[in-house]
Amino acid sequence: MVKDFFNKIMVALYRIPWIKNRWAQNFNAQESDTIPWTPLLKPLSHCKIALLTTGGVHLKNDTPFDMKDKYGDPTYRKIPSSVALKDITITHDYYNHKDADKDINLIFPIEALRDAQQKGLVGESAEFFYSFMGHIDKHHIKTLMEQTAKEVAHLLKKEKVDIAFLVPA
Amino acid sequence: MCNQTVGLLQREIESHGISTVGISLVREISEKVKPSRTYFLKYPYGHALGEPFNKKQQAAIFEDCLNLIESIQEPGIIVDSPYHWGIHKFN
Repeated sequence: MVKDFFNKIMVALYRIPWIKNRWAQNFNAQESDTIPWTPLLKPLSHCKIALLTTGGVHLKNDTPFDMKDKYGDPTYRKIPSSVALKDITITHDYYNHKDADKDINLIFPIEALRDAQQKGLVGESAEFFYSFMGHIDKHHIKTLMEQTAKEVAHLLKKEKVDIAFLVPA
Repeated sequence: MCNQTVGLLQREIESHGISTVGISLVREISEKVKPSRTYFLKYPYGHALGEPFNKKQQAAIFEDCLNLIESIQEPGIIVDSPYHWGIHKFN
């Protein structure tokens, strides 16, 4: 109850640009020196694409993300790329998703992707897209980096995905 | 934190031989996490593609990001979006 109230206050405060910026400057991010690189070797129109979101999106009949653990939930959910928008929902208490509840494309741009495919700008979709709940902290970062992110990368590779498009909340 | 998670996922996927692009709403975090290709928007959380039902805005952002996969030729580039929140008109 207290945690829910605290979350709501924080979510409201982070909408204020000055507070968001101050938080970002002080956030102890996972820093890296090297940067992985895979050059694109064929035209976008021939590339198989997968969408990934950290907006807590999942099928309505799938298990929601864990909102009880204050350090988050490093698991992921599979979403068929052929999904109907009415069959997906959001479980994520750490940002204001009132607008995204109305239009899921704000954090999971599936219609913009389908339109781009109609225009011939990009190739076919992978069979599955993937969703995380981006609030992942402390020991769950290790699980994300050593387990779940690797699993998803392997699944994408197995499906012969060429490009991945990632969207935060 | 969502922006950090996107960056970490992006790095892992890219290191498996898949070209990636990610949207960022917090430039400072992307500068530290260093994903391969980043499109930065100064937009509120929960609005990476803009405003609800603004199809033109969403298409413009989506297609800009797609094009970055082709146009960025070196790792770690962060491109600042020209679309300012509430100001830019999408026609």
